[in-house]
Order: sequence, then structure tokens, then C-alpha cells
Amino acid sequence: MRNTYRAMAIAGILLLSGCNVDQQGKDSQLALVKTTNPKPIVTDGQRTPTWVEEIKREVSSLPELYDVAVVKGQEGTLVVYKVKHLHRFKMKQIEKDVTSFLEKKHPKEKFTVSSDYKIFLEAVRLDEKMKSPKFPKKKAEKRFKEIVKMTEDTK
Amino acid sequence: MASKQKNTTPQQQRYQALQQKHEKKRPLLKNCIRAFFVGGLICTVGQAISYFYIYFFDFTEQSVGNPTVATMVFLSMLLTGFGIYDRLGQFAGAGSAVPVTGFGNAVISAAIEHRTEGFVLGVGGNMFKLAGSVLLFGVFAAFVVALIRTLLSMWGVL
Repeated sequence: MRNTYRAMAIAGILLLSGCNVDQQGKDSQLALVKTTNPKPIVTDGQRTPTWVEEIKREVSSLPELYDVAVVKGQEGTLVVYKVKHLHRFKMKQIEKDVTSFLEKKHPKEKFTVSSDYKIFLEAVRLDEKMKSPKFPKKKAEKRFKEIVKMTEDTK
Repeated sequence: MASKQKNTTPQQQRYQALQQKHEKKRPLLKNCIRAFFVGGLICTVGQAISYFYIYFFDFTEQSVGNPTVATMVFLSMLLTGFGIYDRLGQFAGAGSAVPVTGFGNAVISAAIEHRTEGFVLGVGGNMFKLAGSVLLFGVFAAFVVALIRTLLSMWGVL
């Protein structure tokens, strides 16, 4: 019996260490459990406009939120955030408030707002991919659209 | 309880008093602490599994619940079959029975218990003997909640 437990423990350690190969140092690896605070990005690879950076600053300043990612695509802007634990009961209301706040400030822009961890993770992953100069802008825009489509499933 | 005591004879009452005197006191606080930690551990495993599905598959926070619950129930069924979950149940009590893993344990332990009575009438007939009530009241509660929600959204409250 002791050997069985020992074998299970070794298998568990091997499995966990196996998952870690070639992924060290990436923010997305721990994006679900720690604050990553990614910089706002634009999918066309241009310099991030100041109003996008402003969105990030304004949304981050809300007391209920603690980790904000902003991705600007060609047809809209994705704003993803994490909600502090005790405020998670009011997530729908927070989402409504953030959306109306952003739409009031930037009436011409189309916003997609989400507090889903998966969407946040994908935004961080896109940010990491875009840091590489080899990553084509078309692919970035395509991935952005896929992420926006994913948010529709969460509503 | 009071009416029960009224109906008992003096001899029975004396016996009950004697029984209460010698009855071993349950370690309530210890049991609660054990249940708290083991239940919390099971929930931590569940959270890790849901992060696994979010991280490696295309599940969102909304849709990850289904595969996580399925995995947890499957794991508890396996552990019941190996005889590990029963020991955990003896140690943690409600801490292992209240999470969804307790459902898997209830199904498989009933199936194992009645396997000598045959595959159809034994296993098939008794598999949901314990878990059946969970399913019945779960479905009924879901129906009532859905009804309330439908009515509230019809009246414009939600």
C-alpha cells in the first residue's frame, strides 16, 4: 500500500513538472492566480493611442477591480478585468457600470467588457504573442475577433 | 421528544438515563474541523481542475463547471472503487459527503454493496438507492428556481 502511495506521489510530481517544460517566465502561466497587469495593446502593432492607455488607467482605478487588460482591435476594444473576491457577488452590475462608463466616455468606440478568467488569460496570451516581431498582425486581429466571440458565450 | 418520554415506563426512563450517562460524547468540534479541512481540500482540487480546463481547453468560467463536476464525480467513483474514499469518509464525515464527490461515492458504494444480487436487479436496481433522493430533490429545486426566475423576468423584476 505504501508503495502505491509513493508511486502516486511520484507520478503527480512528474506530471506537474512535465507541464512546466518550456514555459518558464511567462505571465500567462500564472495569469489566473496572480496580478499580471498587462500593458494595453493594439492589434495592428502601432503605438498604443493615449485614449486606450487612459481606459486602462480609469478602469484600474475602480475599487472593485484589480487586474485590467485592454486590447484594441480594428472593430472595437476589449476590456477584461478581475473582480476582487468580496465584490464577485455584484459582477453583473459591475459589468453594466463599466460598459456604460466607457460608452459615455467614448461614444464612437464599440466596447466588449468581460470579467471572465478565460478571456483575461487569452488577452494576456495575445499580448505575449504580439511581443514577438514574427507574429503577423492579421493573425493578431483574427485572434482578437475569436476572443470577442468567446465573450458572447459567457453572457 | 417530550411525548416520547411521557409514553415510556419508569424502567425505560431509568435505562435511558443510564444510557445517556455511559454514552460516549461525540467530538463535535474535532469532527467539524476535519470536515472543514477535507471539504476545503476537495474544493481546492475542484478549483485546480477547473483552472486546468480553462488553461488548456476552450472553456470559459461560465462553461467550465460541467467538465469539472464530471471529473470530480468520476474521480470519487474511482476512489470509492479502490476503497480510498470510504476511509476518507470515515475520517471527514460530511466534509467528504457534502461536495459533489459524495454523489459519486453514494452511487458506486450502493452498486458495490448490491453486486452479489446480480447485474440488473442488484447493481442496476440499487445503484441510485442513495443518490436517487439527491437527483429527485436537485431536479425539483432546479425546477422551482427556474419557475421563480421565469416569473420574475416576466414581471420585469430581473
